[in-house]
Amino acid sequence: MDGSMSPLMREASLLGEDGGSAAAEAAWHGLFWLVFANAVGVLLAVLLLAPGLNRLLGEWTYGRWVMVHMNLELYGWTSVPMAGFLFRAYGAERGPLARWRRPVLWVWSAALGVGALSWLSGHSSGKLFLDWSGYARVLFAAALLILWALLAMALVWNRRAGARASAAAWAAKVAGLLLLLAVPFLIYRAASPGIYPAVNPDTGGPTGTSQLESSLAVVAILLVLPLGLTRRKRASARVVAMGWAVLAAESLLCAVLSRGNVSHRLPVQYLSLGSLLAWLPLLPAYYAAFAWHPATRLWRRAMLWWWAALVVTGWILFLPGVLDHFKFTDGLVGHSFVAMAGFTSSLIVFVLVELLGEDAWIFNRARSFYLWHGSVIAYIVLMTAAGWREGFDPAFTMVPGPERNTLYALRLVSGVLMLAASLDWLVDATKLLRGQPPAWLDVALEKTA
Amino acid sequence: MPHAKERMAGWRGAVLVAVTYIYFLIFAQFGFLARLASLGIADQPLKAVLAAMALGGAALSLAMPRLRRWNLPDARLRAGLIVCAAAALLSLLPLDVAGATAVSLAIGAGLGVVTVTLATHLRRWTGSGDALWMAGLGTGVGYLVCNAPALFNAPARVQALTAALLCLAGAAITLLPAQPAAEPRPASRRDGLPFGYALGCFAALVWLDSAAFFIIQHTPFLKAGTWAGALHLSADGLLHLAAALAAVWLLRRRGLPLVLGAAFAALGGACLLLLDAERIALASALYPVGVSLYSVALVAYPSVLAPAATAAERGRRAGWVYAVAGWAGSAMGIGMAQNLGHVPPGFVLAAGVVVLGPWLARLLARRRREATLTAAVMLAAFCVDRMLPGEKAEAPQSAVERGRQVYIAEGCIHCHSQYVRPGSPDVTMWGPATNLEALRRQQPPLIGNRRQGPDLSAVGGRRSPLWLKAHFYDPAEVSGSSIMPSFAFLFSDRRGDDLVAYLASLHSAGTAQHLAEERLWRPSSAAVARASAAEGERLFLRNCATCHAGNGRTRQRWRTEFKGLPPNLSDRPFAYLPPHESPEEDLIRLEQIVKFGIYRTDMPGHEYLPDEQVVSLSLWLTQMKAQPLENR
Repeated sequence: MDGSMSPLMREASLLGEDGGSAAAEAAWHGLFWLVFANAVGVLLAVLLLAPGLNRLLGEWTYGRWVMVHMNLELYGWTSVPMAGFLFRAYGAERGPLARWRRPVLWVWSAALGVGALSWLSGHSSGKLFLDWSGYARVLFAAALLILWALLAMALVWNRRAGARASAAAWAAKVAGLLLLLAVPFLIYRAASPGIYPAVNPDTGGPTGTSQLESSLAVVAILLVLPLGLTRRKRASARVVAMGWAVLAAESLLCAVLSRGNVSHRLPVQYLSLGSLLAWLPLLPAYYAAFAWHPATRLWRRAMLWWWAALVVTGWILFLPGVLDHFKFTDGLVGHSFVAMAGFTSSLIVFVLVELLGEDAWIFNRARSFYLWHGSVIAYIVLMTAAGWREGFDPAFTMVPGPERNTLYALRLVSGVLMLAASLDWLVDATKLLRGQPPAWLDVALEKTA
Repeated sequence: MPHAKERMAGWRGAVLVAVTYIYFLIFAQFGFLARLASLGIADQPLKAVLAAMALGGAALSLAMPRLRRWNLPDARLRAGLIVCAAAALLSLLPLDVAGATAVSLAIGAGLGVVTVTLATHLRRWTGSGDALWMAGLGTGVGYLVCNAPALFNAPARVQALTAALLCLAGAAITLLPAQPAAEPRPASRRDGLPFGYALGCFAALVWLDSAAFFIIQHTPFLKAGTWAGALHLSADGLLHLAAALAAVWLLRRRGLPLVLGAAFAALGGACLLLLDAERIALASALYPVGVSLYSVALVAYPSVLAPAATAAERGRRAGWVYAVAGWAGSAMGIGMAQNLGHVPPGFVLAAGVVVLGPWLARLLARRRREATLTAAVMLAAFCVDRMLPGEKAEAPQSAVERGRQVYIAEGCIHCHSQYVRPGSPDVTMWGPATNLEALRRQQPPLIGNRRQGPDLSAVGGRRSPLWLKAHFYDPAEVSGSSIMPSFAFLFSDRRGDDLVAYLASLHSAGTAQHLAEERLWRPSSAAVARASAAEGERLFLRNCATCHAGNGRTRQRWRTEFKGLPPNLSDRPFAYLPPHESPEEDLIRLEQIVKFGIYRTDMPGHEYLPDEQVVSLSLWLTQMKAQPLENR
């Protein structure tokens, strides 16, 4: 640890003697990719306004950069930090295996770097969010396997070291480990061009069944997360049980739905997707049943609000007429921002804040919090407006005009603001890892003390 | 941080640095070469003349610090500047090879004296001012002046005269009484680099710079893309100045290694970008940044940053830096550029190892476990990838299959869908509804999820291969306000033709039925009411004139490849309008042609135009038909 950390800070900090906690390391890698992907997003927004600049990029034109942007947001920012959660859940953040956390994160980041170069070099499977192909595809799967191996060894080591946990907890961890083992192979397999999910014949997009399936997978993750992060409050067993019961019921419903190419116009499709609305009250109640670190308050609220927005707008956008209007438009780009920049980002930061505890100041500064959310909301409003216009006139965003250009210029501004907020987090995360927190934090801690 | 007044106290130092750079850049490296060319000195004699300059420079750089006599900094610098000025003036004479060699030797010798003396005693002329700041300011201003269009584009004789006058002005400045020098700032841990390492870094950077400079100077299209035009030159000058000031800030805040690393990133990047004609503009932005970053360090390191117990020691180090890195590095760079015509990526990598090597070595030593595991996993993944049969065994064979891979590689899917939704406005615009069964047989289906451009599922029925090719070359030329990037680079090999073959193969099963439906299409009555022929003329110029005007760019460029040369609508009949039809029927047919094009010809549709514009354009075309321009 650096000598610049005051005794008060040192006492409050969770950073280990080896220079950084598992969460701080995972946060740094995730934030690095967030900043990188956001910078690429800004580049894309610039290119849509000034397509002549593509000339400067040689063969690395717009389409190749979109792959880099989308995949690094998904496999970088929204995935790497979850390794911090897994390190905590499987006890890999302490003991002799803790020193392998950082190498595992390096391997993951190296795989992302190789992936970015491979997309820029024109290697892709042609599948959105599954563009892995060739060497990069194998390397990414290998990076996930290495993470899994560390978690498995940590579990075994903790068991041998006599770590205290109930039989149910051990069983859950083993079951989770088996599920995690499937992930690298599933991603490798899913990136194959020969596999494609069911298609909604009226839109060319996913069916209601597919969307329900993926949403329930997210719900399952949301229900599991508190179990690995904190402890349940007393007298909250009913709410927790209800959460799992509703998930089971919805999974049963999903299981009986058609897996074929079915239209969103079938009432059973949009009504079954509407069953997700049950999670509007249920998820906040479920999360209220757990004891969270006080520092999580801001981001937990944000996550739950974004969740509500995602469920409601997701369902509305799937309804007949609405989906027909917005399909292939910027309106759905706006919705993907509700999902990724709004909900998922808030969830990731909330988890990191819980893991970081007193070191969570890096995410709790008011300026970056409001900058991020304000610019994300602005982006969503702008894209929804563009999508609304585009629904009536598909050429609206293809042919530059004053209205389209104004919306896209404002979109660029909001993108720059998002980049600024993410950069703020990355700078603070770097300071945290170096043991150089800002002076104001010491003052704040003294006041609290 | 020093106040502005204190900073400017050392203005003499900044001026002397600027004068030295201006003399070296605009005269020794540039104007003198032009003068030699005008004297007919080329090939081997030219090499001999330039070798004399390098020899003079290196010899005096090494000799000056060791010369015990006449150890008066002002006098030495003054003498060096006077020699430089004299050499510049002598270069205006009608010299033969021997005379030019002598002048070249004098230029090198003068510069050798000036650079080493200035670096050794810079604080003498910066006085109580901030020496680092003055070194940066002088460097930045030097480059800014050299890039001033009036000087850069001036004849060689004007450049020589300017250089000589500035040297004489510099010599005059040395006559002013010396000010007490400021206390040198304590050497930073970051700046205390091993001397050999610093020397290697500077040599690698000068080598890269000289090679890139020579290549740009001797390649007309590179020169046109980097140094052509007053605006471009001014922008380059400002970039130099900004980078020089940034170098000062970085040297103060982050130390020498970071500045050298950043300079390598910019210069190495520029050298790699110069390999591709498409990326010249980006290279031209990186090059001045890299040059100015290291040029400030080249002055600041021996004069301010490197710790030295005595002036003699400082002088000896400066001598080695300018002899080895400056003169030898420059000669090697020019030699490489002359022999190879480009900077090989392998050399850029080698320079990177020199500049970043110690930093990387330190990082790897600190993070041995991380580096080892990452390397092991990458190697293992490489072996597994080699062993897996996967999709590699099924490499596409036909042009259409290869073109589909190009479509995927370029990320076309991120702007173009391949799904026409049944019963939606898509059908009118882009063709028959997609057959889902046929689509699912594709691996993978390329449906996409966002349209920044039109749907392409039936583009083969709407656009001819020639149109597609012309559009890839220059989208905006063919399609008025297209926002698509140019993909001309694909035609440097077979990828472009493969992609065209793939797109031309995209047809839908219901094309015949769809063509019949197109004949039934009519614009809305509201659009008809709002349309105007005057607007049509504007639209014609933006969308149609490129093919249908006598001097249209697309028409001229692809003249020999059209199935039939598009008629010049100002004087040719409208061949696709059936004869003996009423004006109303003509108008409707024209509207359909404007919107959907003419099947199996090079005439494209303009599906993206609103009905009002389609009618406006057709109205104007109707007027043209009735009264061709040449008869008006």
